[in-house]
Amino acid sequence: MARAEKITLKVNGEPHSLTIDPGEPLLWVLRDQLKLTGTKFGCGEGECGACSVLINGEVFRSCMVTVGELAADDQIVTIEGLGRPGNLSELQRAFVDHTAFGCGYCTPGMIVTAEALLRSNPHPSRDEIVSAMDDNLCRCASYPAIVEAVASVAGGVKRED
Amino acid sequence: MPLNRRTFLELLGGSTAYAFTFSCSDGTGTVDEAPVEADAGVIANHAVRYFVDYTEWLFIHADGSVTAHAGRVDMGQGLKTVLSNLISQGLQLPPEKVELVLGDTSSCPDDGPTEGSNATRIVGWGYWRACERIRDHLVERAAGILGVSPKKLVYRDGAIVAKNDPTVRLAIGELADGTVHLDTIEPRAWYSSSTPYVDRGTPSVNGEAIVTGTLVYTGDFDPGDCCYGAFASSQYHIQLTEIEAADFAAAAAVPGVVKVERTGASAMAVGESFTSVQRALKALAPRWRIPERDRILDVEGEIRRGAELRKTVEEAGDPERKLGSSPVRISETYITQYASQVPMETETAVAEVEGDRATVWASTQAPFKARVRVAKRLKIPEENVRIIAMPVGGAFGVKVDTPAPDEAALLARKTGRRVKHVYTREYQFNGRARYKEAVVADITSGVTENGRLVARTIDLYQDEGFGSADTYDIPHVRTRLFSSPMPARHGTMRGTSFVQTCFAVESHTDVLAEALGIDPLEFRKRNLAVASFGPLLDAVAEMIGYQRAPDGDHGIGVAICHHGGRQLGAVAAEVSVDRTSGVVRVERLAGAFDIGLVINLNTLTANTKGAMLWGLGFALFEEVRVDGHQSFTRGLSDYRIPRFSDVPPMEIAFLSNETKDGWPRGCGELPVIPTVSAIANAVARAIGVRFHTLPLTPERVLEGLRES
Ligand code: FES
Ligand code: FES
Repeated sequence: MARAEKITLKVNGEPHSLTIDPGEPLLWVLRDQLKLTGTKFGCGEGECGACSVLINGEVFRSCMVTVGELAADDQIVTIEGLGRPGNLSELQRAFVDHTAFGCGYCTPGMIVTAEALLRSNPHPSRDEIVSAMDDNLCRCASYPAIVEAVASVAGGVKRED
Repeated sequence: MPLNRRTFLELLGGSTAYAFTFSCSDGTGTVDEAPVEADAGVIANHAVRYFVDYTEWLFIHADGSVTAHAGRVDMGQGLKTVLSNLISQGLQLPPEKVELVLGDTSSCPDDGPTEGSNATRIVGWGYWRACERIRDHLVERAAGILGVSPKKLVYRDGAIVAKNDPTVRLAIGELADGTVHLDTIEPRAWYSSSTPYVDRGTPSVNGEAIVTGTLVYTGDFDPGDCCYGAFASSQYHIQLTEIEAADFAAAAAVPGVVKVERTGASAMAVGESFTSVQRALKALAPRWRIPERDRILDVEGEIRRGAELRKTVEEAGDPERKLGSSPVRISETYITQYASQVPMETETAVAEVEGDRATVWASTQAPFKARVRVAKRLKIPEENVRIIAMPVGGAFGVKVDTPAPDEAALLARKTGRRVKHVYTREYQFNGRARYKEAVVADITSGVTENGRLVARTIDLYQDEGFGSADTYDIPHVRTRLFSSPMPARHGTMRGTSFVQTCFAVESHTDVLAEALGIDPLEFRKRNLAVASFGPLLDAVAEMIGYQRAPDGDHGIGVAICHHGGRQLGAVAAEVSVDRTSGVVRVERLAGAFDIGLVINLNTLTANTKGAMLWGLGFALFEEVRVDGHQSFTRGLSDYRIPRFSDVPPMEIAFLSNETKDGWPRGCGELPVIPTVSAIANAVARAIGVRFHTLPLTPERVLEGLRES
């Protein structure tokens, strides 16, 4: 069993110094050490996408990444880094407007995954949305509304407050 | 002593609140007193004849704000949004003046578990009607204070105002405090109330919190100084096994571990982190006793062996004799699979135990059941247990009787620490699984040559409930229930046992139609028990384009069912089957439902689509593979649920709103049921092979094609 080490993580733009077992999955460090509980545990097996985060702009499943694998200058972005209550991102706003959730448990992972898609492909087709998000599971089966929400941003529909 | 009304009022009412209590009766218990002409046949046969009073509490505070307490929980079905809307609209208050307290056993009434799609129906209409009465009551009260006739006053925007002089105004918060017990709210009051509730399309109250990851689910809750705990999990059905040997020393030596100990048949571990607990359980490497029971490898054999007749649930005429004399008579057996609820948030609880008192934050559909479980487990009085129901990340039946709260409480007591207990998928699928049970259905029908059903017998091997076998008008029938001694643990799951019965009945219906050379839709119409299925069938036929000849290896199937007394549904499915791979793809789904008053069309449509996708999953791939000893399904990678790419175009119609025949009857589970059967019928029509066992996996389809 590995010993605790000093590790620096950059999350949502802020560096955090932690003394921690490098074998610890990023998911639990985010949730328990950094109190960023928007990143959810859904399986711990890399099968559901509830724990999705961005690392240098790419989607990763934080349950499958150990903190020891990360470099101090890796940019980790969680759902909390995309927008806050009262100051939602365009995508978050679209999820609210389309009620693209039932229980909401999968939603942070969905938004993080869609965010990565839109950054690399700002105008995806519906098929591209489906294939980019196909490994994110939603048991409430809010899939149709999620696709609509992402497509509304992808279609360049500007939000009107 | 359970918390009663008085202690509650002392606790919360204080001296500044104006408290209203009322009960809402469950309409299902009184349908025969308030009969609705249409569909009377369904009611007569299927009303669950019980009458329950749900006691609700509503407070008006001095600042004019309102707090309502309900023992129900929001599981993503939008209950909180609906109730907030109802009350803010009913009392004409801005939404921010309305606070809801849901599912806290210390301050909420026990109004039953949140299941069976009834929360909005019962609690919702109760609150709507109560608001109307509260408005009247407040007007009377203000009239007394002002010394004028109540006729001169009107309730407007959270105040009582003189009709002819708007400066004479008493805000509701200014009215004297006290307690008012309103009478029982009668069923049907919602719709018959003077101003029917209309949803304004208000967005979900939790929306912003959900999309920013700030909604606090049970696992996100931090009581401070909390550790994690878990139990070892066995692939064997837990009542057949126990730990024979385990390396407790190695487990205890894992860094961060607080305690490892044997508990009953299993073992527990508590540690400072989720990971340390999982490592401890791994180091423990328990050896589980191999069950001694001899096992049959196939589920049908397990279910039939030793099964005993439990009861005859329905008997009319002389089915045996009439079956014998029917010109066409067909006997079949249908089998549905074990399935799992798989909420995205696994069962979770956080417990704090101090002496003989316990507080548990839990993901539960039934906080009052959880309270009983915790009290029993810790052997402490129920009133010493407080359950705080947190937002639920999906439940679908498995969190009605979840053991997580009492397990967490036990872990907390054993360690003297606050403990968070988050089920792993393994524990959810195995150690503590409560599956939707597999069901064997033997069905035999006799029909005349011109396609009239004459007689039918159904024998169902299942431990819980049974579904709608009598969508059709059959003079001679017998339905029997047999026990199912299969040792896997059973629990509730969305769609209940209706799915299994509907699969048998509706597949069989198509087989009969085919044997007679009659179109299955036409055959159904000739035999309907309830005429209102007719328009539903027409609607789905129209939406799916039933009359057109589908392309090669495409097929269209239909199915009908009813649920919960007065919810009726019809679904049509179009599928394509790849004969090489055996893969079934659902190309299109159309559903028509008669479910009474529609409160919020958007939410209802979304929930209905979701439910139809559940039907798709159950028909095509969801299955927990078990035998008489163990489960072979360990994690999400072994259990396929519907995903984005499975979603077909879906069209949905609610016919009931047009007939305006009553109150909202709920629609959370209904659409699951006929969808399963419609897909199975579509597959049979596509490739000419009838499957008697679900799910229709590629392997099963290929096998069927080979044998045909
Ligand atoms: S929790 Fe990481 S993929 Fe499910
Ligand atoms: S919204 Fe409930 S799991 Fe997706």
